[in-house]
Amino acid sequence: MSADYGSPTVEHEATAGDDEAGYRSYEVYQRERVGSPPPVKPGQLRTQDYLDDPYTLLANLRHYGPSFRDWQGNAFWITHYNDVTSVLVDSANFATRSKRWFYGLATFGRDLRNNVPFLTAQAAGIDKHAPVVAREIVEAFAKRGTADLATEFAAVFPLQLLGRTWGIPDADLPVFAERYLRMQRGFRWNTANQEAGKQAMLQLVSYFTPLLAARRADPQDDVLSALATLEIDGPAIDAHDVVATLLEGDHETLHGALANMWFLLLTHPEQLDMVNNTRRLVKYAYLETLRHSTPVLSGERFAKREVERFGLLIPEGALVICSAAGANHDETIFADADQFIVGRKDLVQREPRGQYRADGLPAGITPALGTPSKFPALPVGRPRSLYAITRDVATIASHALLDATNNLQLAKDAHPTLKSRGYGELHTCWHLPVTFSAK
Amino acid sequence: MSLAEDLRKTVAAAYEVDADTASTQTFDFPLMPLGTAYDMGRDANGVPLFDPRIFDSREFQRNPYPYYRILRDHYPVYHDKLHNCYFVTRYNDIAECYFDGLGYNTIPKGSSNHVLGNTQLELSGIEHSRRRNLYGRHLVGAALTKRIGAICKLANEMIDEWFNPESGMTEYDPATGKYTMELGKAFANEFPIRVVCQVLGFPDEARDKFYYWYKYMMGGIGGRDYEQKGLMARQDLEDFVESIVEERRLKPNFLLDDEGNEVAPDIISELCKTIVDGDVLSTEEITSNIALIVGGGGETTRGAILNMWYLLLQHPDQMEAVLNNDPLWDAAFHETLRHSSSIGGQPRQNTFDVELQGVKVPAGSLMHMVDFSANHDERIFTDPEKFDILRNDLYSEKILRSGYKKDGRTNHMAFGVGPHLCPGAWISHQEGSIGSSIMSKRIKNVRIATERMAKDIDGVSLAPIGLGAINELWLEFEAM
Repeated sequence: MSADYGSPTVEHEATAGDDEAGYRSYEVYQRERVGSPPPVKPGQLRTQDYLDDPYTLLANLRHYGPSFRDWQGNAFWITHYNDVTSVLVDSANFATRSKRWFYGLATFGRDLRNNVPFLTAQAAGIDKHAPVVAREIVEAFAKRGTADLATEFAAVFPLQLLGRTWGIPDADLPVFAERYLRMQRGFRWNTANQEAGKQAMLQLVSYFTPLLAARRADPQDDVLSALATLEIDGPAIDAHDVVATLLEGDHETLHGALANMWFLLLTHPEQLDMVNNTRRLVKYAYLETLRHSTPVLSGERFAKREVERFGLLIPEGALVICSAAGANHDETIFADADQFIVGRKDLVQREPRGQYRADGLPAGITPALGTPSKFPALPVGRPRSLYAITRDVATIASHALLDATNNLQLAKDAHPTLKSRGYGELHTCWHLPVTFSAK
Repeated sequence: MSLAEDLRKTVAAAYEVDADTASTQTFDFPLMPLGTAYDMGRDANGVPLFDPRIFDSREFQRNPYPYYRILRDHYPVYHDKLHNCYFVTRYNDIAECYFDGLGYNTIPKGSSNHVLGNTQLELSGIEHSRRRNLYGRHLVGAALTKRIGAICKLANEMIDEWFNPESGMTEYDPATGKYTMELGKAFANEFPIRVVCQVLGFPDEARDKFYYWYKYMMGGIGGRDYEQKGLMARQDLEDFVESIVEERRLKPNFLLDDEGNEVAPDIISELCKTIVDGDVLSTEEITSNIALIVGGGGETTRGAILNMWYLLLQHPDQMEAVLNNDPLWDAAFHETLRHSSSIGGQPRQNTFDVELQGVKVPAGSLMHMVDFSANHDERIFTDPEKFDILRNDLYSEKILRSGYKKDGRTNHMAFGVGPHLCPGAWISHQEGSIGSSIMSKRIKNVRIATERMAKDIDGVSLAPIGLGAINELWLEFEAM
């Protein structure tokens, strides 16, 4: 028995002689074009092929497209750069939904990330701890001469930085991290992960309840204290709000970006040499990584009302998948889009603002981080954006790595690849064995 | 151990970094042992929660029964807000809805009329029974009994081929005297098609196209991407049938017995001379009826034969009982359909606002009557997961033409009940039990050729039947 994915709604019944009586349909029949590869079938977007190499399938979607009606997944895919950015800035027509909504827990706690004291404490904490944490982590393997940069560096660094910034004692960090990761991984489609994630959220609430009371009594220099002493309308802040804030934030982009950046540098040794000789280019390598291999493949938006865009009638509430991976490889925007070119001339090297830059240059899209924003670059009274902070942190960590090693290269017989562990999850390098000589 | 090492291990475990996902595809629902309902959590009162996304999962498609058990026990009428429909899962509720042809009519969304044409599937009440009887009456009772001889002959002809080395149907090992074959290829795929072709009076060359018509028209009913292909297949069938109909209008065709006597006219000839409201049926109407027979006649019976042999061979004591007692084939056929049938359920649309099992269903809702679930309803069948041809709560005599209970036994739901009861039920029953009975008299020492069978994802055990029919069944046997 097949599930019914919702039938096309015909709102006006056609009557005889009334040609104007609207033919309205959400269905689109994708015809094969002569001389083109066969169109992607919806099921293919949920196979291992997509998890391993999304770019081939997305190139096909771009070719056939502006849009792709994935009727099995009940979603609309947008893959052209200009279309994706136009949806991402169009908050009038397209809404984001919180991770708590995906969990079915939309009323769980409050997301406090937009409060200035929180942002200030977060920025200050990251500035303070990032160099220290980076040095600690690199020193742990610097003497050894071999390391797995994906697991020992990229995966660990954001978590440890998060723990220090939030003021979680080092002794608690492994237990905290286990619950935190379970929670972050659970809001996706997989029901098993979701149940585990809900459990983790409750465990985190019971972990934070005493800690929050302690910080309220004796504020420290960390994010948790900023939350504990935050004054907002409504009931006092409790551990549920802390967990909600933690959930809606994200460390994965930094994890994935660091792993992908080193994966790309190590598999392009000439670029690595260039970056090593001109340290200023580390930042550009990071930005080009976000364009070339974004760790977060797509962002999800929901239509607020019925809109006709991209040659489609998109119903109210429809899921629009804005494929950053597809847009970042759009050949009409980026020359040699499949090439990894540090410091490429057609990628704007500043924070993306709005759909189009005044200078006409596009920025790479990384949902959760580098999405175009309609707000001014430097809001009054706020610290610099998370985009800039993350960029600087990734640069700091990479500097620490370059400072501690000589002759960094891939281990012999290593064939690292990028892949996702699950649908909608991080697309990154999970094992990156390297050899080097210690300085 | 250092903090960094602890964190590294935590991340590796959280993302299952070292697990091999290439074969199991973690993006999908995790596969689990058969018969274990996935625990989707419980509410404050301890009632299991049910997440409608499960319906889209591979795990559900592999084995839906545990999930239907949750629905039957706790949500007998389940409102699936994700797919915007209702699931009715208890036998008695489904039977009640099926018998109420006006309250729950069959004009649901995604109906079949654009591919199958104007058939009785969408009709209700008197109009429905009149259309259905146009051809349905030729498939039951005396009309069917007359054809049984020819069905037996077809089965024997096909089985003769197994022992003909040039046919390629079987592999013979002279050293052991054993034959190996795939039952679907050698018999079950083709036999129902031959019977339907014979009943319809199709010439032999139609057999080759039959599968094409069947596959694409059935696929096209689902609409969406396959609709176009379905319409093309339907057009192809129409082109084929048209000339036959014109011919039969002038000269009816008859099934002949061995002596050359006319046994019965074929269904196309019957339809050609049928008069409704003083007018003969148009070619289009005849084609629609034929399209329906083509759609219903092949795959379902094939699945029943394969599943029956698979299940019986898995239960040697029951196989033994059947071999010693020929009439038990009827019970085996019905128990197979109850235990693992091919048709999951039927959609209905309620004409009025109704309240069923305390759930208010607004008029015009899509309601899925889950036949799978009805067949495993503990309220009707004791120990429903067990395959037991000797069970005393399943009615397995001659199929009832009305009602669904007799002598304290209950019909299975695979053919449906009520006015829309499968019109091919009787002939399908004859094909399944007669075909198998004849088979069992020609071969002996049958066993499943386990080494040839498709393996489950664990690579060791046999693939489960789960939903619908088993794909292929490899048998090893000796000639009687």
